[in-house]
Amino acid sequence: MGCSSSLPDRSSGRLVGPNGENGGASDAKNLRVKLVLLGDSGVGKSCIVLRFVRGQFDPTSKVTVGASFLSQTIALQDSTTVKFEIWDTAGQERYAALAPLYYRGAAVAVIVYDITSPDTFNKAQYWVKELQKHGTPDIVLALVGNKADLHEKREVSVQDGMDYAEKNGMFFIETSAKTADNINQLFEEIAKRLPRPAPPSSSQNP
Amino acid sequence: MTSETSPSVSGDEASDPKPSPEDQLASLALSETDGPASGSPRENNRHNEIESAEEEVQTNSAAPGLAVVENSGEAVRRGRIGGVLWARTNSEPEADGPESPSSSGYAGERGSSSASSAGSGIYEIAEVRDDEVVDGVSDSQAAWVPGKRHVDEDDASISWRKRKKHYFILSNSGKPIYSRHGDEHKLAGFSATLQAIISFVENGGDRVKLVRAGKHQVVFLVKGPIYLVCISCTEEPYESLRMQLELIYGQMLLILTKSVNRCFEKNPKFDMTPLLGGTDVVFSSLIHSFSWNPATFLHAYTCLPLAYATRQAAGAILQDVADSGVLFAILMCKHKVISLVGAQKASLHPDDILLLSNFVMASESFRTSESFSPICLPRYNPMAFLYAYVHYFDIDTYLMLLTTSSEAFYHLKDCRIRIEMVLLKSSVLSEIQRSMLDGGMRVEELPLDPLPRSGSFSPHLGQHTLPTDSPDGFRELYGGIGGPAGLWHFIYRSIFLDQYVSSEFSAPISSPRQQKRLYRAYQKLYASMHERGIGPHKTQFRRDENYVLLCWVTQDFELYAAFDPLADKALAIKTCNRVCQWVKDVENEIFLLGASPFSW
Repeated sequence: MGCSSSLPDRSSGRLVGPNGENGGASDAKNLRVKLVLLGDSGVGKSCIVLRFVRGQFDPTSKVTVGASFLSQTIALQDSTTVKFEIWDTAGQERYAALAPLYYRGAAVAVIVYDITSPDTFNKAQYWVKELQKHGTPDIVLALVGNKADLHEKREVSVQDGMDYAEKNGMFFIETSAKTADNINQLFEEIAKRLPRPAPPSSSQNP
Repeated sequence: MTSETSPSVSGDEASDPKPSPEDQLASLALSETDGPASGSPRENNRHNEIESAEEEVQTNSAAPGLAVVENSGEAVRRGRIGGVLWARTNSEPEADGPESPSSSGYAGERGSSSASSAGSGIYEIAEVRDDEVVDGVSDSQAAWVPGKRHVDEDDASISWRKRKKHYFILSNSGKPIYSRHGDEHKLAGFSATLQAIISFVENGGDRVKLVRAGKHQVVFLVKGPIYLVCISCTEEPYESLRMQLELIYGQMLLILTKSVNRCFEKNPKFDMTPLLGGTDVVFSSLIHSFSWNPATFLHAYTCLPLAYATRQAAGAILQDVADSGVLFAILMCKHKVISLVGAQKASLHPDDILLLSNFVMASESFRTSESFSPICLPRYNPMAFLYAYVHYFDIDTYLMLLTTSSEAFYHLKDCRIRIEMVLLKSSVLSEIQRSMLDGGMRVEELPLDPLPRSGSFSPHLGQHTLPTDSPDGFRELYGGIGGPAGLWHFIYRSIFLDQYVSSEFSAPISSPRQQKRLYRAYQKLYASMHERGIGPHKTQFRRDENYVLLCWVTQDFELYAAFDPLADKALAIKTCNRVCQWVKDVENEIFLLGASPFSW
């Protein structure tokens, strides 16, 4: 099930992505990034975040209103830490017009669909196009097929997800917030792909 | 035919806008309709005694001796004569021939016919059971399960037709937008029927407000391209049902703003349901509050009881934040206000507080983490979105910071951190929790003797109950149930402050069903006191088999009190004076005073 395709790392050698309005206090060892989750309602965006941030899963559906803000810091093997400031947006149609409010300045966008619903996969493609048009120029895009535990109801094949991600230079992974499968991997993989600030040596010589 | 346990006081306002004196007698709304007294300058101060009002009561009800309603169904029957009544705004009332309720396709009547003579009590019980799935649970709010019920039903289901109260939102092309019961999409035919009724009357240059069909009232409210309809057999007054529809419309505006009208200008067949996706819980929780929250008919808000200094501390930090560019800062605990502050010249309407807190409490996601969401305050500006930062400090206590700037999230987050630090340092949050546990005013604690003016209050809201029996013998008469003189419950609304205080429920009004029935009775009392044309009234005393209800309206306050049905009238009146004095004595703790001058 959960399957990730490793794409060529496009991020190498890029400049630091913007970290949002709050003026990211990032340095080479401690990154701070703004991450936005987008996708149709009911695909499990909040569940992914709550699994990642709190290790919880609540099967009762709680419709997100506007956007929720959570943060979580992870440590990578090279002893850098990444603090994700996560905007978990509402998937409801009435909030679509407000999405730029939340993805503006985001260094990472995680676009989520439900593997049991082709409609949500279409919606995900809409968000990819929107971000390619209006998102931060060097934004890291991740395509996530959630609810991978419901494989007997699968209607979007792994191949379709992978192909679409590859065509659009995205990172792809299938997750299950319910079983926690691939949730940490998703965020670790994102962290690895983040553009790093220039080495400290450059800032020593102003 | 009449099955209401307490007689209708309003008669039928639609058919008979100017009741004769006999009508007033029939409904026994003890009123003082003379111009000079009711509209006079402030000759009555807050402490005028109710005795004087009682004299008016006596003179008005000269005919049958005591000014007490003894369950005559007269007014109710009178209202039933015309099967269907078009409430015309500009022409003679016109009664169509009596129509069987089922001929309209709406057969709600059928299931209830057997209960009609036995009194609505039985029917009421049935409704409580299927709506609220409670029994013996004392907190009606806790027992209520949020979310949409009966999604599998539609207008062909017998069970759907038997529901006591339906609310619908539809578009002027007849497309369903919201239905309390059943799946909107399956109700397309029914919506089209409602739309046809409305446009049929509109085509005649008129407007339909109310249709009566047997026990059912169908109330219509037209708001541009949005139609709202309530079908009810709860015998609530027309005015109350219309106000409920106004609130439902306001709740919709809070989510979408009035600019949704433009979608209908562009495309009359526009389907609005996706725009309201996921908000069923918000509407169902509002509708539920129609049966427990007095704010829905009083148009006032209520505060969590707190020591004056504690509330001041909370207000000071909110004011600090408001000065830094926040439009409104509101700290609440459940539906009770702890403190609220508005930027200069900005004022917050109590209905907006109700709708906003309902929206926040009904949307579970606010509890999971801090959020930033567009919302509209319909009374403040129905056209524009504001942005709300919402954060829960604990399971019941939440902060709402409202701003006009969509970019303000990080600023508001900083504000919240500052507020949280102050609230923790001055132990406001723990005081809030303690107040939640202690509860508010209890009728059993009504002081028997006037408090000394300077009085420092005992721990719980000026509780000075003496262990000895009072000289009046209140206690002996009523065996310790409820408060003195058989006082069971009261609501006091301060007109200046736009705030109310409601006593805690205690025996014998302890089950959710009894509480709901009392609210309905208050609601009816409120409507009859504020009825257009023959009001405003000053006092009303009515007795039926459930309660003695006493209402007293002055320029400063409104008091609604419920007593044991056997309560003595003179003692009840005396007790009401004591309640008012008690409220006055503890107003520092139960009301938000001295806030920035609100001018709604």
